[in-house]
Amino acid sequence: MDQIIREKIKLVKKGDQSAYEDVVSFFQNKIYQHCFRMLGNAHEAEDIAQEAFIRAYVNIHSFDDKRKFSTWLYRIATNLTIDRIRKRKPDYYLDAEVKGTDGLDMYSQLASKDRLPGEEVESIELQRYIHQEISGLPPKYRSIIMLRYLEEFSLQEISDILDIPLGTVKTRIHRGREALRKRLRHV
Amino acid sequence: MNCNKEAVELMHKYLDGDLSKPEETELRVHLEDCEACQTHFHELKRTITLIHSAEQISAPKNFTENVMQQLPAEKKRMRYSR
Repeated sequence: MDQIIREKIKLVKKGDQSAYEDVVSFFQNKIYQHCFRMLGNAHEAEDIAQEAFIRAYVNIHSFDDKRKFSTWLYRIATNLTIDRIRKRKPDYYLDAEVKGTDGLDMYSQLASKDRLPGEEVESIELQRYIHQEISGLPPKYRSIIMLRYLEEFSLQEISDILDIPLGTVKTRIHRGREALRKRLRHV
Repeated sequence: MNCNKEAVELMHKYLDGDLSKPEETELRVHLEDCEACQTHFHELKRTITLIHSAEQISAPKNFTENVMQQLPAEKKRMRYSR
């Protein structure tokens, strides 16, 4: 897949806008999900995820082909989510429920998989609970836990994405795992 | 070994694939004797398994189309260079 994306990016750089459609389509769920978990809100996640793809397109010439496109894209998306979190007013959460989301709470956007009785439901509830507990971590731990375990980046790649030293990534992943261990031990 | 500091530190190094052979032995020997650390280690590994099973979220419908519609028009310079 990396090779296909590489070829598509070459085409985009040559000015072929339609090649970018395949890139967006390939990464849309990953990037949207990343934004959603960072922001905890469907309306903002859509907004920021779109912005990330647009910025990547506009700045495509500054992307170094020797690097992994996904790392670069996640970097843009993560920076945008962090900016958005910083700009939030303290009363943001109350507002978000009332306006701006058209009455959608964060769960109404979760992928609705086939809901079957019995164990299946239990497992969906568990998956949702885990999502919720990850979302409850402070952003600096949450981003790293997500990038490592849900998006499968190496610690070095996470250091590149977040532009922080590898040692800091390790300290934060340790703390993030400990925090989640305490939250999930009774599951 | 100090459970809270050294042993837990070794567990995290293990999870990051940073554990040296002597450290691995040290951790294993400690785990054989220390029930509290066994539980801690088990909980950490289980946490990672649980994280992997967090609910997957899909992008809204028409996400790609919406992005494509918002892209700036192709520049003339680009069209000539094709």
